[in-house]
Amino acid sequence: MVETQEITNKSHPEPIRLGREKSRTPSDKAFSGTIVIAALSSLAILVAILIYLASSSWPVLQKEGFDFITGSTWINSSANPDEQTFQIWPMLYGTFLNSMLALVIAVPVSILLAIFIVFIAPDRLSRTLTVLVDVLAAIPSGIIGLWGFLVFTPVAEGWSKLLNQYFFLIPFFRNDQDQFARSPFIAGWVLAIMITPIITVVAREVLSQTPQELLDAARGLGGSLWGAVKFVALPHARGGIVGGVMLGLGRALGETIAIYFVLNLIFEKVNYFQILNPQGGAIASMIVAKFGEATPDEIRALLGAGLVLFLMTLVVNLIANWIVARSVREKIA
Amino acid sequence: MNTQTLDTSTMKPQYPWKKSRPTVVIANSLIVVIPMSVYAFFFFFTDLPGALIFIAIFLPIQIAMAVIMTIFALGKRRVGDAVLSVLSVTAFSLVLALLGSVLLSVAARGLPAMRFSFLTQNNIYISPTTELTYGGVGHALLGTLTVVAIGTVIAVPLGIASAIYITDMKGRLAGFVRFIVQAMSGVPSIVAGLFILAAFILTDFVGFSALTGGLAYAILMLPTVARTSEEVLKLVPKELRDAATALGSSRARVIMRIVLPTAKAGIITAVILGVARVVGETAPLLLTTSNTNGTNLNPFKDPVATIPVYIFQFLGSGYESSIQRAWGAAFVLMIVVAILFALTRVFSPKGKAR
Repeated sequence: MVETQEITNKSHPEPIRLGREKSRTPSDKAFSGTIVIAALSSLAILVAILIYLASSSWPVLQKEGFDFITGSTWINSSANPDEQTFQIWPMLYGTFLNSMLALVIAVPVSILLAIFIVFIAPDRLSRTLTVLVDVLAAIPSGIIGLWGFLVFTPVAEGWSKLLNQYFFLIPFFRNDQDQFARSPFIAGWVLAIMITPIITVVAREVLSQTPQELLDAARGLGGSLWGAVKFVALPHARGGIVGGVMLGLGRALGETIAIYFVLNLIFEKVNYFQILNPQGGAIASMIVAKFGEATPDEIRALLGAGLVLFLMTLVVNLIANWIVARSVREKIA
Repeated sequence: MNTQTLDTSTMKPQYPWKKSRPTVVIANSLIVVIPMSVYAFFFFFTDLPGALIFIAIFLPIQIAMAVIMTIFALGKRRVGDAVLSVLSVTAFSLVLALLGSVLLSVAARGLPAMRFSFLTQNNIYISPTTELTYGGVGHALLGTLTVVAIGTVIAVPLGIASAIYITDMKGRLAGFVRFIVQAMSGVPSIVAGLFILAAFILTDFVGFSALTGGLAYAILMLPTVARTSEEVLKLVPKELRDAATALGSSRARVIMRIVLPTAKAGIITAVILGVARVVGETAPLLLTTSNTNGTNLNPFKDPVATIPVYIFQFLGSGYESSIQRAWGAAFVLMIVVAILFALTRVFSPKGKAR
């Protein structure tokens, strides 16, 4: 009797894990070791990227100093190495401008689309739309570039002319070259198409995690759907959406081929805000554009540009993942 | 006491959540019909461009109609809903139109280039103006296959191992490894190409070849494989692992014989998603495989052609038949991606892709 009493008192006995630590055979250890090494390969690759890009571009970075980022001269003469100057400010700023334009277009569209999928569309339509968003995400960037150059550019040229015609008083929409193709405006649209699925997927995910009780309560109090979305769902999903936007930004910063086809890269002059002018920049596309006929020194400069791009996207992505993870964890807890 | 009882026998149940009241039906049809007819009027009877009519005339009228009709049929409180609906349907149509435009133009312009020879012949003796009846993407198809195979062979074991480490071994560094894998998924494809270029090609370790392209692809595939496998391994019931451990299996045996076979379908999905992630990437290949017009079957030596680079090459040259070739190659690539996409739906458990 006494013994059974003791056992029932311990309602949750600690499990004894014999197999875990004590009886590890050599082969088991070897297996675990292999797994650990393989799991750390990602870290090794990231560190190797950093080291190789930095060390191979070091001569150029050292020579240019901080001007590598802030200067706007690109002179490549293998005959006269002293005159060579490699500076990437126009490309760096262009990357920033294109990405911002993409966000201006993609963020409202993605959020509205996510709201439509989660709250408005009937079940069947919303499932179809989810698949279509995945399809859009799966289209290779080379195909988007081909389409953007041959199909979309003529259409967007028309839009640009309209904007220029009716809003030329706004400095953004001035165009002093009478030519509307290959502008940051078009590049922004193409990027927007590529990042919309990324933002939509994340926004849909976090919006659909809004607790049903809260939504029901909001609707039950006589609130409209808009009220429920504005005061319950959006505040609830804000962190996740911001994270999704940052993920999209990371993708936009690193996009190469599509931009290469739809944007006229100008290396010596910065186009600060005239988004309809056929001149712009993008670091990733510059690497492809210059690589074909690059001299060894120029390749070092391109590797340096790659290093800048790598660090930029790394920071943006780490912040994004941190925000998404935090907001998802908060919602679940 | 004069208690009044409700006579429920004559009452009809009301469904206040059903909004099929005639006023609502009329309002809804007016919301659809009026702006459309205004748009049609301006489109057919004036010279104004379609985009301008849409933004400046159609959209404001659509919103105004929705607001007025909502006030009329449902009351002031639902005005926000009306505007939200109009805007989100606009967003939805915009995305659908862009997606449709991409898919349709690839199909419409790529299909005419399709013929058996286009899929099997290579690009030797083909000038930018050669008729489409000669030459094709055969060499590039083989090249893409080789490069993707090399990438898969390298990335899949590493990715699955990372996933096992995070979910099954729950080592001390599990959180850190997951963090690193996430960071890696943000590496731009061009940077992966630059890294392989700097580490292998500029150091004269290996030349431009399918091998270097595969290495660049592996960097891009690894995070996708790792993250998807992680999700899949999480779904393997803990009881299975515990039962196997209780029977005296070593950890290696539990993972190799129980966990991985259970998650087989999901892991295949992870691999396919990894392949789909990279198969259309152009930028890293420009820096690592270069390009060639002939068929190169040696994966360790000499440049190799791939479909994405083939598109890049022919779009760049600008002639009519070259551009047709680019569309043709884009169509082939689209079909490859579509097959991969369909496969993920077949393999993934319960038809849920991610």
